[in-house]
Amino acid sequence: MAGKKTMTLNLTDAEMTVLEELSTKKDMSKTAVLRQALRLYQLVQMRAERGDKLFLESETTKEKAELMLL
Amino acid sequence: MTTSVSKVYLLEMATGKAVEAELHDGVTEQQLEDWETKWFPVLFARQQQLVRTGVPLAGWSQSRQWSWRDKMARIECLLAYQTFCIVCECVTQGMIQIDMTKSARLDGQSGKPLVYIEYLEVAPWNRTELGQQAKFGGVGSILMRAAVEHSVNEEFHGRIGLHSLPQANDFYGNTCGMMDLGPDPDYENLRYFEMTPELARSFLDNGREP
Repeated sequence: MAGKKTMTLNLTDAEMTVLEELSTKKDMSKTAVLRQALRLYQLVQMRAERGDKLFLESETTKEKAELMLL
Repeated sequence: MTTSVSKVYLLEMATGKAVEAELHDGVTEQQLEDWETKWFPVLFARQQQLVRTGVPLAGWSQSRQWSWRDKMARIECLLAYQTFCIVCECVTQGMIQIDMTKSARLDGQSGKPLVYIEYLEVAPWNRTELGQQAKFGGVGSILMRAAVEHSVNEEFHGRIGLHSLPQANDFYGNTCGMMDLGPDPDYENLRYFEMTPELARSFLDNGREP
């Protein structure tokens, strides 16, 4: 595995709460959650730059909503 | 591209002896050249043999249309994907591509991240198609082990999942001990297999290497 670098991350209370909730829900450390988020963000960004659109679909109603990426 | 290399052992089927090989974390241009210049001629010759012997299409290698060059181009520079390969006698013996953005489906694991195996393929001379003896045994198992260990390292606790080509159902279900969740209508009705953290620990503890 490639060497890792350490950084300090400044989060608001709300952001830290979300990170802790995700960490519990996903059974991962906060670092692992952020690494996973980075993977997903890069993937979504690459697809958006290619012209793809990201949709969220309701499992019950099948209603689709496009997620706007900035 | 920098890859790290670790020592593994394959079983040379003709002699029954363990031979030293390398597990690389990464598929490079060298592997793609091996795939084109070494795997392809053997695959082509086998297909000719299948045609001559009248074997129906269902009996052919189901990964024969995979293009590793395309598969690697698709994931270039993306953190979400990882590849491994095994090299022995300076030739690529097997390759695997995994996706780290998928979630588990099994009850009790649902929604938790897993390593999803997109593609796993061993060199044609390491397969037992047409009753031929494989040159090296253990290639698929070691690549599976690499995927499970990667899942552990990424804090996915060994969870892995995959859709299996019909010819490989027995390998994933029985050799690897994965749970069979049945045909997936959203994925060409291929059977979906998953490994829980408990099954992963068992696989790593009992994983077969010569």
